[in-house]
Amino acid sequence: MDIKTQLDVIREELEKELASLTDIRQLEEVRQKVLGKKGTLTALLRSMGSLSPEERPIAGQMINKGREEIGQMIDARMADLKAKEREEKLRKDTIDVTEPRELPRVGVPHPTSLALEEVLSALTGLGFDVVEGPEVELDHYNFELLNLPKDHPARDAQDTFYVDDNIVLRTHTSPVQARTMLSRKPPIRIACPGRVFRADEVDATHSPVFHQIEGLVIDKDVTMGDLKGTLDTLFKKLYGDDIETRFRPSFFPFTEPSAEVDLTCITCRGKGCRMCKGTGWIEVLGCGMVNPKVLEMCGIDSNEYRGFAFGIGLERITMLRYGIKDMRLLYEGDERFLRQFR
Amino acid sequence: MKVSMKWINQYAEIPVSPAEYESRMIMRGTGVEGVEYLGENLENVVVGRVLTCRDHENSDHLHVCTVDVGENEPLQIVCGAPNVKEGILVPVAKVGAKLPGGFQIKKGKLRGVESYGMLCSGPEIGVPVELYPSVGDEGLLIFNEEYALGTDVRTIFGLDDYVVDFEILANRPDCLCCWGVARETAAAMDTELKLPEIKVTDVGGDIADHVKVTVENFDRCPRYAARVIKNVRVAPSPAWIRQILHAAGMRSINNIVDITNLVMLETGHPMHAFDLDKVRGRHIIVRNAKAGETLRTLDGKDHELLPSDLLICDAEGPTGLAGIMGGEESEITEGTREVMFECATFDRAGTRQSTRRMGIRTESSGRFERGVSNQTIMTALERACQLVNELDAGDVVGGHYDYYESLEAHKPIVCSVKRIAARTGVEITAEQMVNALKKLNFTVEFDGGDVLTVTAPDYRQDVELEADICEEVLRMVGYEHIPSTRLRGETTQGGLNPLMQRKKNIRRVMGGLGYDEMMTFSFVSKKSIASLGLPEDDPRMQPLMLRNPLGEDTACMRTTLAPDMLRILSGNYNHGNECAMLYEFGTLFDATRRTEEGLVTESPALSIGAYGKDLDFYAIRGVVEALLKTEGIICKIVPGADCYYHPGRSARLVCGDTVIAQLGQVHPDITAAMDLPEVTLLAEVDMVAMYDCATVMGHVQSISRMQAVSRDIALVMKEEVNLGPVMDTLREAGGALLEDIRLFDVFRGKQLGDGLKSCAFSLIFRSPDQTLTEEHLAPIMKKALKLCKERHDAEIRS
Repeated sequence: MDIKTQLDVIREELEKELASLTDIRQLEEVRQKVLGKKGTLTALLRSMGSLSPEERPIAGQMINKGREEIGQMIDARMADLKAKEREEKLRKDTIDVTEPRELPRVGVPHPTSLALEEVLSALTGLGFDVVEGPEVELDHYNFELLNLPKDHPARDAQDTFYVDDNIVLRTHTSPVQARTMLSRKPPIRIACPGRVFRADEVDATHSPVFHQIEGLVIDKDVTMGDLKGTLDTLFKKLYGDDIETRFRPSFFPFTEPSAEVDLTCITCRGKGCRMCKGTGWIEVLGCGMVNPKVLEMCGIDSNEYRGFAFGIGLERITMLRYGIKDMRLLYEGDERFLRQFR
Repeated sequence: MKVSMKWINQYAEIPVSPAEYESRMIMRGTGVEGVEYLGENLENVVVGRVLTCRDHENSDHLHVCTVDVGENEPLQIVCGAPNVKEGILVPVAKVGAKLPGGFQIKKGKLRGVESYGMLCSGPEIGVPVELYPSVGDEGLLIFNEEYALGTDVRTIFGLDDYVVDFEILANRPDCLCCWGVARETAAAMDTELKLPEIKVTDVGGDIADHVKVTVENFDRCPRYAARVIKNVRVAPSPAWIRQILHAAGMRSINNIVDITNLVMLETGHPMHAFDLDKVRGRHIIVRNAKAGETLRTLDGKDHELLPSDLLICDAEGPTGLAGIMGGEESEITEGTREVMFECATFDRAGTRQSTRRMGIRTESSGRFERGVSNQTIMTALERACQLVNELDAGDVVGGHYDYYESLEAHKPIVCSVKRIAARTGVEITAEQMVNALKKLNFTVEFDGGDVLTVTAPDYRQDVELEADICEEVLRMVGYEHIPSTRLRGETTQGGLNPLMQRKKNIRRVMGGLGYDEMMTFSFVSKKSIASLGLPEDDPRMQPLMLRNPLGEDTACMRTTLAPDMLRILSGNYNHGNECAMLYEFGTLFDATRRTEEGLVTESPALSIGAYGKDLDFYAIRGVVEALLKTEGIICKIVPGADCYYHPGRSARLVCGDTVIAQLGQVHPDITAAMDLPEVTLLAEVDMVAMYDCATVMGHVQSISRMQAVSRDIALVMKEEVNLGPVMDTLREAGGALLEDIRLFDVFRGKQLGDGLKSCAFSLIFRSPDQTLTEEHLAPIMKKALKLCKERHDAEIRS
C-alpha cells in the first residue's frame, strides 16, 4: 500500500471511531491510537525511512498534512464533546421554574386617585389649571355667591354639615370657583378637585365624604356647545372614541341653562347591561352655563363674559369604571380590595 | 310626585305610549322617575254573577258556587266567604289570574270539589275602602252597581291607568300639580291645553255675615283668600275623585276634605277647610305667635312656639300652624254645617324655619317651602267652589275675602335674539324662540330685529333674566340639538397645582416601595384622638366640632391621621390579612389657628402604616427616608416621638430646625388596646414642612474613573451609643475622599464585656483624579479613630 492509501485508511477508520465514541476518555484513547507513540500515524511516519530519498519529501509532506487534518478532526470532536458535557451538567442543575414565590410588592394608588389622575390629565391637556381650596368653607362662598341664599329650597338637596351659622363643610368644590373668579381675570379655565361633604348616612351608594372635580371656563364667547364639546373630548379621552354624551334639561341655582349629562355606558358600550339598568346610558354629571347672577356676584361683567361649569362625582365614575357595587369598600382600606387595582 | 296619566290626558292629550311620553317629558325639562301601571299586579279578574250557591258536602263553611263571567259556560268555584250568596255581583279571579302580592290563581280541588278560580275580597285585589266604599270587611267585595259580566275590574277601580312619578326640580314648584304638568305636557307634545273653565254659582248672601278674617303679618302671609259654603252636605266622594286621590297616594276622607286635596293636586295650592261652628268668635286671625304660647297640632304633639312662627287663630287662641298643620278643633265631620275654604300663601323661609325647628313636614308645608304663587290663588279657591257646585256638597255663599298688601305682576324681560342663540351654541331663529315661548304661555313681543320682550305667565316664579328665557327656549328647541364644539379664545397655561403634582410624585414613590394608598373620612371622634394619650393642651385635642354630625364617631374634623391609620391597620389584621402596607393623604384641621377669614387652618399631611413579616422600625424609617430623598432632603434622626409611639423605638426626622416626620413602632399599650400586631409601624409626615425643606435637583457629578479603596475598622463602644452620630463622625473625618460608609457587622459577646458592642464599618474612598495609597489614607484613618474616641468613647477592637 502506498502512503496515500494508508493515510486514507487511517482517516476513514478515525472517522468511524469518532462518530461512534461518546465521551472524552474514549476520544483520548483514539487520539493515542492514531497520534500516540504507538499510534498508526506515528508508525506510518516511521515507515518513511524505507523510502527512497526522492519519495521521502513528498511522503513527508503528505503525512504532515494528514496529521494536521487528523488533529483538527480530533479537536473538533473534542470541542463537540465538551459542549455536550457542559450542557449535560447544566441540565442536571435544573430548578423548578414553576415553584411559587412571593412577588416583589408594588404598591397601588387608591382607585379614586386613579380616576382623579386620569381626569386631571385629560383636563390639563385641554388647558385647565388645577386649583384647590379649603374644605371647611364660609357659607358665603359655598352657597351665597352661587345663588343659593339662606333658606333657599335648593339647599335641601345638599344636606350640609355646619360648624356654625357662617361656616360649613363645603358641599361641592364650587366655592373654589367662586374664589377663583374673585381673584383672577378672565379668561379662566380651571379644574377644582377635592373632598366634599354631605350629611348622608353611609350606605352602598352614599357617603358623607366624597370627591368631586368641577370645571369652570369663563371667556367672551363661550357657548353650551363648547361645554358639550369639552365633555365629549374629556370622556372620549377617558373611555374611548365610541363614548357619547347626552344632555337633558335640569336645574342648578348656579347655572342657566342647566343640564344633566348621560354617558354611553362604559361597561356595555351602549348595548344595555346591569350597570346602566338596560338603558345604555349612565348619569355622570351636572353642568350648565354659569348663571349671570353668579358672575356678577363674583365680580365678572356678565354682559362681556359667559361661562360654563360642570361637576363630576369621582366616586361615581370610579365605581362605574371598576364595577364597584358598594361605596363603603372605597373607605375601608382593606388590602384585599385595594390590591386588585393597578 | 305621582300623577295619573288619564288625569293629565283630560287636560292635555298624550298621543304617545307611556314610555315615549316619559322620554319626551325628560328631554323637554320635566323629570320623570318612572311610569307604573296601576293594574300591574291584577290580571284576569273580572265581574261575575253568582248563579247558584250550595253548601260544600265535606265542609261546614265552604260553598260551591256557579259563577257567570260572561263566557259560554259558568265556572264552578269553591268559596269560603261568609257573605257569598246567589245573585251577587263580585270580582272573580279566573284560572291564570294574577293578584297583588304575587299570587297566581290555579285550578284546584278543595275537599274533593274542583274549583276554577276565586271570588275576591277588596284587600285580595288591592282595593281599599277609600277607593270603593262598599268594599266592606266581611268577605267578598260585592259590587253595588251593575257592570257587564266579564268586565275587567281594573276599569271599574281606575286601575287601568299609568301613574307617572314626576321629579319636579326646585325651580319649578308650579309643576307640583296636575295642571302644571298638563301645561308642560301640552308644550312638550305640542297639543292643546284644555283646563276647565271656572264658573261658580252662589246662593247670595255675604261672607261677612258668616266669618271675619284678619291678617296681621303680610310679610309672612302675603295673600289670604276665603269663601264660605253653607248647608254643607258631607258625603263620600264620587269614584273619579277617589281614584285620583288613590293614584296620588292620598286617602279619600269625605267630599269637602277631598275637594281641598283635589284642588291642591290640580292647582298646587294647599287649601284648608274650617268648620265654622268650631271657629270661636267666627273670627280667623293670622298672626305671629307670642312668646310662651303653645299649640297641640292634629298629630297630637305639643309645640312651644316662638314669635317667628305664624299661627292661624280664632277669637280665643291658636288653632293651627299657618301653612303647616291645622288644629284638631276645626276638623270637618259628618255634622259640619258651614265651611270656610282658605286659600293663602305663606312665605318660604318662615315656613321652612318653623318646620325645621319643630320637625314637622306636611304636604302643605312642603309646597309653601318650595314656593306657591301669589297670583293664582283665586283660581284655586273658585275651583273648589265650582267642585262644591258639581258635587252638590253645599251652597256657596256670595262674596269672598282676598287680603294682600301688594300684588306685583311679572315685569317684561327684554332679550336679545342673538345673545340667546349665542349662549346655547344652537342656531335658533327669532320665530323659533317666539314659538317655543308661546307654547309655554309666555307673552312675547318681537320687534322684527333682535329684541324680544317676554313676560312670564303668572304661575311662573323662576323667570327673571334673559338666561332663564334662554333655558326655556333651549329646552323647547331640544337639548339634543346642542352641537359639540371646541373651546376657542386665548390659550391658558393649564397644569397641576404644586400640591397635586407632589401627591402624584409621592404616589409613584410609595408604589415603588410597595405601599398602597387608602382613603378614610375626614371625621374622627374626640374619644379616638384622646385614646392616643395626648396631653390636654395639645392643639390636636381641640378639634373643630360639627354642629350637626351624623354621630359621635364622626363629630369632629381630624387633627391627626394616626387614629384612622391604626383603625384601618387593625381592620386588616382582624380580617386575616398577613401584611398591610398603607399610606393616606389627608387634610388636618387646626381649630386653634384661624385664618384672616375666620376659617380653620388646613394643612396637608401624609400618614404611613404597616405591619407584617420582616417589617420593623428600620423598615418604616427607610421608607420615609427614601421618600424624603426623592425630594432632596437629608434628615437628622432624633430619637423619640409623640407618646403613642414606643419610647425606645421611635424617632423624628429633622431637617435644620424643621421636624418633617415622626415615625416608629406604635406603643404596645395602643397596639394591645386596638387589637393590632405587637410590631405595628406608623409614620406621620408634615407635607408643608417636607416641601419647605425640599430642594430642586442641581447638576450631576461626573463619575470618577479611579479605583476605589476600602478600609475596614471595628470599633468597640458602649451599648447606648447611637450609630448615627458615629457615622457622622466617620464621615467628617473621611472628608471629600470618603465615598461611602457601610456598617457590616455588630457583635456583642463575652469577649467584649457587658454593655459593649463592636461595630464593623467599611469605609470606601475614591479620588476623582488619582489612585489612593496608604499615604493618603493613613492620616484619615488616624483622625477617624481619634475623633471616635473623643466623641463616642469608641476604641478600635484589638
